[in-house]
Amino acid sequence: MQLKPKVSVGADASRMRAKVARRRLIAASCALLGATAARSQDATKSAADSMSDEWAFDSALAYYHESGRVKAIEPIVNLSKTYGDGRTFSGQVVFDSLSGSSPNGALTSTKVQTFASPSGKSLSAAPTTYTTSSGQLVSESAPIYTINPGQLPVDPSYHDQRLSMSGNWGLPISRLTTTQVGGKLSYEHDFVSVSANAGVSRDFNQKNTTLSFQLNDEFDRLSPIGGAPVAASDYALFQKGGGKTKDGVGAMLGLTQVMNRRWLTEFNLSVDRFKGYLNDPYKIISVIDPSGNTTGYLYERRPGTRTRKVAYWENKAAWGRLVLDGSLRYMADSWHVRSDTAEFSARWWNFDRDRYIEPTVRWYRQTAANFYTPWLDSGGSKYIDYASADSRLAAFHAYTVGLKYGAKIEDSEDQSSSEFNVRVEYYQQTLDHRTPGPGSLQGLDLYPGLKAILVQVGYKF
Amino acid sequence: MYRKSMVLILIAAAAVLASGCASLGVKPWQRDVLARADMQLDSEPLTHAIDDHMYFSKEASSGGRGFAGGGCGCN
Repeated sequence: MQLKPKVSVGADASRMRAKVARRRLIAASCALLGATAARSQDATKSAADSMSDEWAFDSALAYYHESGRVKAIEPIVNLSKTYGDGRTFSGQVVFDSLSGSSPNGALTSTKVQTFASPSGKSLSAAPTTYTTSSGQLVSESAPIYTINPGQLPVDPSYHDQRLSMSGNWGLPISRLTTTQVGGKLSYEHDFVSVSANAGVSRDFNQKNTTLSFQLNDEFDRLSPIGGAPVAASDYALFQKGGGKTKDGVGAMLGLTQVMNRRWLTEFNLSVDRFKGYLNDPYKIISVIDPSGNTTGYLYERRPGTRTRKVAYWENKAAWGRLVLDGSLRYMADSWHVRSDTAEFSARWWNFDRDRYIEPTVRWYRQTAANFYTPWLDSGGSKYIDYASADSRLAAFHAYTVGLKYGAKIEDSEDQSSSEFNVRVEYYQQTLDHRTPGPGSLQGLDLYPGLKAILVQVGYKF
Repeated sequence: MYRKSMVLILIAAAAVLASGCASLGVKPWQRDVLARADMQLDSEPLTHAIDDHMYFSKEASSGGRGFAGGGCGCN
């Protein structure tokens, strides 16, 4: 009677040892085949886990908060799988919920300013009265908001929700060549975006070199609240129309190279071109007289096309318990925006390789779009070619500092592993070229910049 | 001046990579470190997705690692 359990325990232990050995063999096989050297091979788990024909689950919950402005909560889930025949699938679902105050583009003033919410049709404080189809008389308070002197004009009622789903499939067509197709659908109550992409990658030089080429096509439909304003029209006239569209195509050429046993590098060149309605329908520009008084507002007007070219270089290197990741990016677009981005992170594992900390720094700067202007002079031409006061098109520099902590959780039952991680980041944006305002605006902070924190909690298995 | 230097560095890096690829790399049995999950270029897809969305909505630049589109009406 006592022999049976002993046999059973021994058999279980033997099966477990065999399972562990199998996983190690798979890992070793993958390593020998170099199956995870290139980005195109999409390894989000270790080699053994990726090839074990199981789903890999990755999830995160992010909380983003700008000082005095917008806050957002963003849950995100990613599922991926590598099949035995080399096919791969990766799917992602993201939900955003944003609320708070968003700058409307107008300039800080020494006087009280009154604005209409996007759904408003008048700057009057008088309530709107109308009769419903059932004959009922309804009176609604006017959707307006006021901004006190010295404060940045922000729409306090900003809120939005976004649901985004994407999927990517990798299909090997030979030992060295893989094709990839994907798509993305993103929905907001005032914006819908659909995109599709396809690409091919080929390995060379004993799979130490991977060349890839991808194409992307995106179509967006905008249905702004209250309608899309006529570009450069007088804000007080509420000249608004129906929905608008924009679309873009892009191409990317990538090179991934194994430099040595501990160093991997990637170089990408990409270009894309968007055309259609590229204005921000909620952004306006203050018209200022020489004394610094606001005489009115115009809706912004941007060019109908935009071409961007991006060069990106990333290096990843391991040294002992340290994994270093550094990247440089240069972007130039047809609106004369030029930007430089440098990002660096260092993951430091503990001796048992089950905990890590990862400090991150990022530095960014951009020049202004050639039609960016913080305000328009009242004495200028009534007709404007292109103009926007959106600070995202201004000259500024920004930095991010962050820290991530991760802990692996081993399950001794089935030898599986999961990871819990938490990340905190601080982002600060400072505007350059701070042209002083005329007259009474001198002394006011017209360029307040931006400060934000991000907290992210993640779990994957 | 800085911008020209930046472009030259990127072009030089591409040229070095393109010309030296054949002599670079490792043998199949030397991929133990490269096969680790934390050595993959896509090892943190969600962190990248969250960061890309944040920067896309606050800056005029996006893309590089992937396509520049954002699928978001925030910019």
